[in-house]
Amino acid sequence: MWPLVLQGVASGIVTGCVYALIAISLVIVYKSSDVINFAGGEMVMLGGYLGMFALLGLGLPYLFVFPFAALVIFAIGALFDRIVLTRTLRRAVPGQSVLVAMVIGTVGLSYVIKGAVRVVPYTEEVRRLPPISAGQPIFLGPVVLQHQDVAITLAAIVIMAALWAFFGFTIIGKALRATSQNPRAAALVGIPVRLMSMTAWGLAAALAGVAGVLLAPKLLLTPDSGIVVILALAAAIIGGFTSLPGCVAGGILLGVVQNMIGQFVSSRAISLAPFLVIMLVLLVRPQGLFAGRPTTKKV
Amino acid sequence: MKRLLLAAAVSTALFGNALFARAWAADPGITDNEITIGLFAPMSGPLTAFGLDALQAAKMWYEEINRQGGIHGRKIKLVIEDDKCSPNDVVAVVKKLVTVDNVFFVHGGSCTAAAVAAQEFVTREKVPHVMLNASGDSAVIPPTRYVFGAFGGTQRTVGATLAEFAIKELKGKRIALIAHDDDYGVANAATVKAVAKRLGAEVVALESISPRITDLTAPMLNVRAANPDVIISTCYPGPAVLVAQKYAEFGMTRIPFAQAVQGIPVPAGFAKNVGNDAAFANFYYGSPLNDLTDGPKQQKWIAMYKQHYPDRTPSAFMTYGLPSAMAITRALEKAGRNVTRESFVDALETVDFDSEVVAGPIAFAKDRRDAHRASIFIRYDGKSGHTLMPGVYTWDGKEGR
Repeated sequence: MWPLVLQGVASGIVTGCVYALIAISLVIVYKSSDVINFAGGEMVMLGGYLGMFALLGLGLPYLFVFPFAALVIFAIGALFDRIVLTRTLRRAVPGQSVLVAMVIGTVGLSYVIKGAVRVVPYTEEVRRLPPISAGQPIFLGPVVLQHQDVAITLAAIVIMAALWAFFGFTIIGKALRATSQNPRAAALVGIPVRLMSMTAWGLAAALAGVAGVLLAPKLLLTPDSGIVVILALAAAIIGGFTSLPGCVAGGILLGVVQNMIGQFVSSRAISLAPFLVIMLVLLVRPQGLFAGRPTTKKV
Repeated sequence: MKRLLLAAAVSTALFGNALFARAWAADPGITDNEITIGLFAPMSGPLTAFGLDALQAAKMWYEEINRQGGIHGRKIKLVIEDDKCSPNDVVAVVKKLVTVDNVFFVHGGSCTAAAVAAQEFVTREKVPHVMLNASGDSAVIPPTRYVFGAFGGTQRTVGATLAEFAIKELKGKRIALIAHDDDYGVANAATVKAVAKRLGAEVVALESISPRITDLTAPMLNVRAANPDVIISTCYPGPAVLVAQKYAEFGMTRIPFAQAVQGIPVPAGFAKNVGNDAAFANFYYGSPLNDLTDGPKQQKWIAMYKQHYPDRTPSAFMTYGLPSAMAITRALEKAGRNVTRESFVDALETVDFDSEVVAGPIAFAKDRRDAHRASIFIRYDGKSGHTLMPGVYTWDGKEGR
């Protein structure tokens, strides 16, 4: 039994790392604009297709595919913030919440991306990107891992470490954090709040796009692949929707829980795992497993 | 009095004839020299590949019939619509064809979930609906009077024939089945279990997975732990690729692996997506056709298609559109010149013929609306090697029902 459990855990960590990346993307948006980005899944899917275009259409090596996908989707995310969200905020009626309109804006963006992708002829079939790294399987005792899995995990860890450094040690990262904590105070000390919001959206979108490129060789690409966002939402909720390390732990926990449920309960129950986790966390610890005590936000 | 009787006799003769003529001509879409058929399939959107060439093939068949003089002196006229394989579009298209274009009956549908959406309307309006190449069980089981389909075989047929092939040809005694947790998967599992029981084999693992599953690790570890001697997958294209990847990844390639046709619409594309030659060391897939898609028995249809559409290369789904059109023209012939919608349905119920397209006969009956119940199997090496396996496997229409 233990070899099966270990294999399930190892595989869960690999997929969990990618869920974590998408979850971080959702949390960055949430922290910058109090909005859940329902187009996050479609940004992941678009990243996969952009990766395919760069690899097969432009003939770029993987090393350049990631920045290519990240840059294109960064632009889409930033422009969405500038064109749609900023205007929605400007037209806000005093006393009425503008958040609903902003969330609906993200739902609209998801439809626009999916519709645009479907127009492209080669999205009619199920596709898969070539492996990021190929070779004989790696045996760690009873656990079998593909080179691909190791590459995905390492890439996810590197990206998460880079994000940690970015938010902790760079001026822009610190400005982004300040803006997310108190936009009015940030503006008073000279931080360009709107520019920071655009940057946060662009960064989150780029992250989702990179996750798409990482997922596309492991999973398959169809215009409906964005559904993976449900798993990322569960990971973000485990992490408390405010904590980036919490997203990482949430993603990995979810990946492992899915496999354990599949092995010890039923394969049929795998798709229920994220919803069960969401409900459990909301019941037991609504602020998330990795967030502090619930606080009242300053206005 | 005599005048009155004469007038009555004349009126009876005149109105009687008129009434008789009206009674026969009561059904719309049929004139002395034309039968109008509403033909539809996905011609745009992501599921175009399933329907466009099948629709073109049906159109080609009708053109051939017209070239030979039509049916009972009537030429077939088509009103063609795009249903995008969307339930809402199918309902709108069928309503438009029936109420605006006044077609005699409708012929179309390449996706079961969408085609089923029109069932209530055609049943209420008593308009026959012959599906183009949609094959899901829910459309035809239990049977309803006006809906005919499954010319490629239902999922019960897919499950039963896969199980029989796995047990008889691959010598399986311990079968593992990976199926979806939807109507398709339930139908597959029902017949796999029933056939296995009849033939003395055991289903040692039944993994019901979501069509949207992202990680197949757990189900495939369960399969490996069950120690099967044959693995059957009835998954759709995306999950089928993931199953084949894990099958190779977890070192199960000494166990024969049989994949249902719905998961491998284009074998070369499937192999490319799997991306692991080891997965094809012991790999088989099913097909409702009577030969490989480019095999000798399919060549005459390919040649006919190229003659009709010289600028278009047919896809693997092209010939799937022919049997339904053939069944229709046979039923129209059987129903005679005074055909009505009801007599057309009665005639369809007596159809039983070899289409020379699919592996088994095309047949309906009073209590049968699924046209085809047979499959062949092909060994595939993941490159260009497709080897036809011996035998045609048939579902008896009862097991697992």
